[in-house]
Amino acid sequence: MTATSRPGDGAGQMILVTGVYPIGAHLAGWRHPAAYPEIVMNLDAMIDLAQIAERGKFHALFLADGNAVRQMEKRGLFESPGPSDRPASFEPTTVMAAISQHTDHVGLFATSTTTYDEPYLVARRFSSLDHISKGRAIWNVVTGSYPGDSLNFGNEDLPDRQTRYAKSMEFLEVCKGLWDSWAEDAFLQDKASGRFLDADKVHTLNHQGEYFTVKGPLNLARSPQGYPVLFMAGQSEPGREMAAKHADCLFSVAETKEESIEVYNDIKGRMAKYGRHPDELKIIPGIRANVAETHEEAVQLYSELNALVTPELGVQYLSAQIKFDLAGYDVDGPLPELPAEAHGVTSIRDSLVRYAREHDFSIRQTYHHLLANQETPPFTGTATEVVDQMEDWFTSGACDGFNVNMPTLPLGLERFVDLAIPELQRRGLFHADYTGTTAREELGVPLPQNPYFASA
Amino acid sequence: MTRHMNLMTGLGSIGGHLGGWRHPRAWSNTSMNLEHHIEVAKIAERGLFDLLFLADGNAVRQLDKPALFEANSPSDRPANFEPVTLLTAISQHTSQIGLLATATTTYEEPYLLARKFASLDHLSKGRACWNIVTGSYPGDSVNFGRDEHMPRADRYERSEEFVEVVKGLWNSWAADAFLEDKESGRYLDKDKVHVLNHVGKHLSVKGPLNIARMPQGYPVLFLAGQSDQGRELAAKHADCVFAVADNIGAAVAFYDDVKGRLDAYGRTPDSLRILPGATVYVGESEAEADDVYDELQSLISPAVGVPYLSKLAEMDLSGYDIDGPMPDLSGDVVGISSFRKNIASMAEREDLTIRQTYERVLPSMGHVVFKGNAVQVADQMEEWFTKGACDGFNLAAPVMPFGLESIVDHLIPELQRRGLFRTEYTGGTLRDNMGLATPKNPYFDAEQVLQLS
Repeated sequence: MTATSRPGDGAGQMILVTGVYPIGAHLAGWRHPAAYPEIVMNLDAMIDLAQIAERGKFHALFLADGNAVRQMEKRGLFESPGPSDRPASFEPTTVMAAISQHTDHVGLFATSTTTYDEPYLVARRFSSLDHISKGRAIWNVVTGSYPGDSLNFGNEDLPDRQTRYAKSMEFLEVCKGLWDSWAEDAFLQDKASGRFLDADKVHTLNHQGEYFTVKGPLNLARSPQGYPVLFMAGQSEPGREMAAKHADCLFSVAETKEESIEVYNDIKGRMAKYGRHPDELKIIPGIRANVAETHEEAVQLYSELNALVTPELGVQYLSAQIKFDLAGYDVDGPLPELPAEAHGVTSIRDSLVRYAREHDFSIRQTYHHLLANQETPPFTGTATEVVDQMEDWFTSGACDGFNVNMPTLPLGLERFVDLAIPELQRRGLFHADYTGTTAREELGVPLPQNPYFASA
Repeated sequence: MTRHMNLMTGLGSIGGHLGGWRHPRAWSNTSMNLEHHIEVAKIAERGLFDLLFLADGNAVRQLDKPALFEANSPSDRPANFEPVTLLTAISQHTSQIGLLATATTTYEEPYLLARKFASLDHLSKGRACWNIVTGSYPGDSVNFGRDEHMPRADRYERSEEFVEVVKGLWNSWAADAFLEDKESGRYLDKDKVHVLNHVGKHLSVKGPLNIARMPQGYPVLFLAGQSDQGRELAAKHADCVFAVADNIGAAVAFYDDVKGRLDAYGRTPDSLRILPGATVYVGESEAEADDVYDELQSLISPAVGVPYLSKLAEMDLSGYDIDGPMPDLSGDVVGISSFRKNIASMAEREDLTIRQTYERVLPSMGHVVFKGNAVQVADQMEEWFTKGACDGFNLAAPVMPFGLESIVDHLIPELQRRGLFRTEYTGGTLRDNMGLATPKNPYFDAEQVLQLS
């Protein structure tokens, strides 16, 4: 096992994840002269990013996902989509299967929903990806927060969050049960006796629950990691509880170190009642990293990119992020009062609105802030400056690592790998090379035991 | 233009004969072995095959028949990759061969399925092919919250609506919708997207799909059903259909029936390819082919042979005298009925005992067997192809990889010498290579002339 992250003790090393969707994290990132000229359905750009990330020893490559085309009612934003709108993107498990054939170590992180899919099918796809990648599959478990998704699955309304999480929890338990269908040594393949498998090494789940009835067993052999690494992202109350019970890693959203420490302690504090050690769950906030040779060069990049965004587009972008239509409000006036509860991702909205109010931002200042940071803190400047901030968070018990996103690609990732990674390694904060054989080993999360069969 | 056969073969690495994986020349470690699948794909691409096929289901089968369960018959697949993820990986190691993945319309969601196949088509640069199945194995249903298997008529009704929804989703975007114009900031053209708004009996799907129009427009669409509903669905929607026939007469009858249904849908006979399954035992000499055949037969005991026949015939034969006649197999069943019908007519026609029947079924799996040296096997294939029985074949090799290597090294050159099979890939996409039209998008290129090669 590789070293696990132990914030504050000075001995641990951080986990780093980055996105593989080539559009860049700034709304205008794809328009930068150095950005990829073509990114729609472009596997080659994604392989390029994956190989740059692997050169930088990143632990995992992340691909977000949804099941709808977004922003169709907002012409400007629809034609200039935000990084999380994805009007045309690959289905994650298939593209990760392709990327696995061009990489050797980096974890492969596919998003898949528990609200619209079937547990038997999801369990198969991720087990398949784990076998294909030789133990590098990671599932980002989402309940599908975008209301428009439900219209593609026969439902008029998005189920409420409590229902989605209750269903998600059961979905996960079914998947785990299916992944435990076979002992590791079930497949004998003994030519002499004619026994391909041992009939006593298979377990039938027979699950009957509130949302699902699934008999099993799964028709795949136990995968190299037992289960794929389980990632979650929700920061709502039910999201925190589900993560404490089931997740190996959690994406968190925090604008400040203090906020991140609060989230970190709260979620780790919930684990004991599930019989889990705090180290068994890695908490990984998102950050926007903009590293350059000089501080001025990094700031200049944001100025260039912000200049490409018109107020009309900026306001539409902010409206979509906070789930509230700001058209008609004075762009230089403050944010209006917002309804307390909104469907969908609320952790991003809450932290963004709080930050704007604390800084007395106008709508324009808020969207400028959003463009550079989205929901994440700005880590901008030289490698020393950026790594100082990362070190401060990591050693203060605010995180076990970071999901690092870059404003424009591949430039941002190349700079991070060439400038920030060596500085992190020099300080002993990041591994010098891959040491494990699976994503679980690299991330320092335990290999699940099969409750029905003693470990081979 | 000379008419060429379409040839496809399975991507499986255990071989098509129940004893295939036990043969001394078979791969010894095939369970979840990606490298073997890649090797199969490369051998088939060397042989210029049109397609690689991966069958699929959503259950572990034969749990109640321990002897057969442990022996792992070729269509049971207790441990198998999910097809679309596997074929995506294979696409990165091949450049021309078509990638045929099976997926069910009974348990999947059309939006998710449309995405997976569109993704595969983009990732493979236009080589995706979908084998549309309704899920004939009753045991699949209990993995999807159902107590009972949906009756065939309902499965087909849903399947037809499902295919129409998926096609509608694939028509969401014009081919030139994504501008990616850095200067103007227009990533896409909002007038080049179509919202499906489907509301039907089984499905409600709004659309649009969140994937750009794929290289082939749609993946090549395959169907396998031999029932009346299956034939009609094929005539309406499919580019290719599997056939199950153990003699040329039955194959001709099926061919004429299905091709005869195309006119009603405004389609030409060549727009649907009919590909019967055939198991090929080919050697450098006739004697070599016979030896392999006999070796494989000797590996199967009655303890495995009888439950294997029971499975294909959809009837438990364990209580019957193994050297007595086959019992009556008339009557409908819930699952695959085409094998059952063929087995029943063969046993009756030739007055076979149960033992004789399973010995006949083992090497063929209900299909026809072509055995001999390359000239002898090519003679039989040529006869079927030129006498209106098929447009090509789904060839099964009994032992892997040796059986497929024999086909590629001995049989393919003989077929090429006779002008029956291509000598190089000529197209850019699978549709181009097979000479199938690329579908036009009814919302955006209505005037576009069908591209027929």
